[in-house]
Amino acid sequence: MFRTLTILELKLQLRNFFTVFFALAFPVLMLAVFGTMYGNEPSAVTGDKGAVDLMLPAYACMIVAVTSIMSLPLTVATYREQKILKRFMATPIQPLQILLSQVLVNCITTLGGIALLLIAARLLYNVQFLGSILPSLTAFLLVMASMFSLGLVIAGVTPNAKAASSLAYIIYFPMLFLSGATIPLYIMPKAMVTMANFLPLTHGVKLLSGVWLGGRLFDYGLELAVLGAVMLVCLGAALRFFRWE
Amino acid sequence: MDVIEVAGLSKYYGSLRAVENVSFHVTEGSILGILGPNGAGKTTTLECMIGLKKRTAGTIKVLGIDPETNRHKLFNDVGVQLQETVYQGGAKVFELCQLFSAMYAKPLDYQILLERFDLASKRKSAVASLSGGQRQKLAIILALIGDPRLIVLDELTTGLDPGARREIWTYIKELRREGRTIVMTTHYMEEASVLCDTICVFDKGQIAAYGTVDEVIAQAGIDLVITFESKNELLPLLTKLPSISHVQQDGRVVRIQTRTEQTLTDLILLLREAEISYEKMRITHPELEEAFLKLVDDREKGAVS
Repeated sequence: MFRTLTILELKLQLRNFFTVFFALAFPVLMLAVFGTMYGNEPSAVTGDKGAVDLMLPAYACMIVAVTSIMSLPLTVATYREQKILKRFMATPIQPLQILLSQVLVNCITTLGGIALLLIAARLLYNVQFLGSILPSLTAFLLVMASMFSLGLVIAGVTPNAKAASSLAYIIYFPMLFLSGATIPLYIMPKAMVTMANFLPLTHGVKLLSGVWLGGRLFDYGLELAVLGAVMLVCLGAALRFFRWE
Repeated sequence: MDVIEVAGLSKYYGSLRAVENVSFHVTEGSILGILGPNGAGKTTTLECMIGLKKRTAGTIKVLGIDPETNRHKLFNDVGVQLQETVYQGGAKVFELCQLFSAMYAKPLDYQILLERFDLASKRKSAVASLSGGQRQKLAIILALIGDPRLIVLDELTTGLDPGARREIWTYIKELRREGRTIVMTTHYMEEASVLCDTICVFDKGQIAAYGTVDEVIAQAGIDLVITFESKNELLPLLTKLPSISHVQQDGRVVRIQTRTEQTLTDLILLLREAEISYEKMRITHPELEEAFLKLVDDREKGAVS
């Protein structure tokens, strides 16, 4: 029944224009626009890497933010508001399975979005992967885990879809613009960079970019620690405060 | 055999006493109707009964199971339709049916259920595009898919037009014929009269009346009304009738209020003996709606005085 539920929820997610656009299409569009503007040749600003090389891990983080901070909490809050969660509680299914299937569906969409992004980057700009697989995967999983934990807190405490989307916007947009996911941190004034450092996604972008471009995982101790802490605190909060109705 | 036993159920939200010391039981294969004004505690009682809410006090046994400790086991045998539930709007009818089928060990064939509830043509429609009546029929199908022994329906017909409501009634009667037990809340007295074997009238978290439709009407203590027309002045004669509570005459029209149907026999014998002719003789029994309003109103007055 978990499988049936997850397949249905995945179908529903793919019927949702908002998610499809922002998680699957938008990042590829951004890549095409900015890739055309800057190309992927190493430059004075970007150092020995090309602009597209720098964009990819940042955009991957952007996709994670869309699914974890926007899509997941919005769906769960809507289900709570419309009493769909309550209806499921009156069946033999375990409530936790409903939540897990939502997380899983959003993880699948994330992977789909990143796969599209990588394929596009490869086809359009012949981008090469400069890092090593295992550290990059580890970094990616940690980014996912911390952002989805944060999403679960939003999903857990917001009473309805309106509150969830307000809260999601408040958290999502600063992260989108300040974390380096869309606008590189090196062009920002110092004050904004200081502010950006308070956002968990900033550390996610730093970690994933670093490892993606060939850095070693343990050169990013601070980022690992911040993301790990965000994950643990948010998971704890989600478990403690999650409301089913 | 009792499928549901509720004894001394209380549910408080902080200082608000939503349900207080409520007891009732439901025998297998019968329909219990829970009536009451908004905020009377109907839904709270239902939700405590199926373990969706934790009770403050009392004992509940549903199919021999305490719903609070063993909710998930219980839902293998209990199908529910909750008030105001909307299903995932983007989902199609058959997709929801498949999902709910996957939740139960021995589900009924949803294709047959769709045929039976006249929804087969809507198989591939999005849930959001269904009419109110179709949506409620889908709610019944999803409650029924696990082949439950007990079905709980919370205001199933609220907001439906009279035609759709009557259509739903025939389905509910069918479910009872299949031997399923049904507990339902409703605001429609006619619906309760037509469907329910037993009725529980709730008011301010307590049971104001409990029994068959006739028993509940009797508990309200509303007089029977006998009317007829005659050209004679009858008041002096009629006041001799035993056990009447009120009699009046406006021109030709005589109106007698009484507690017992025996008054009709007494009246006719009396008129015959006095050789008085009459026409349009009629006796009116109180309906459930009148009884309901009086029961709730009496308690209101009781609370004030």
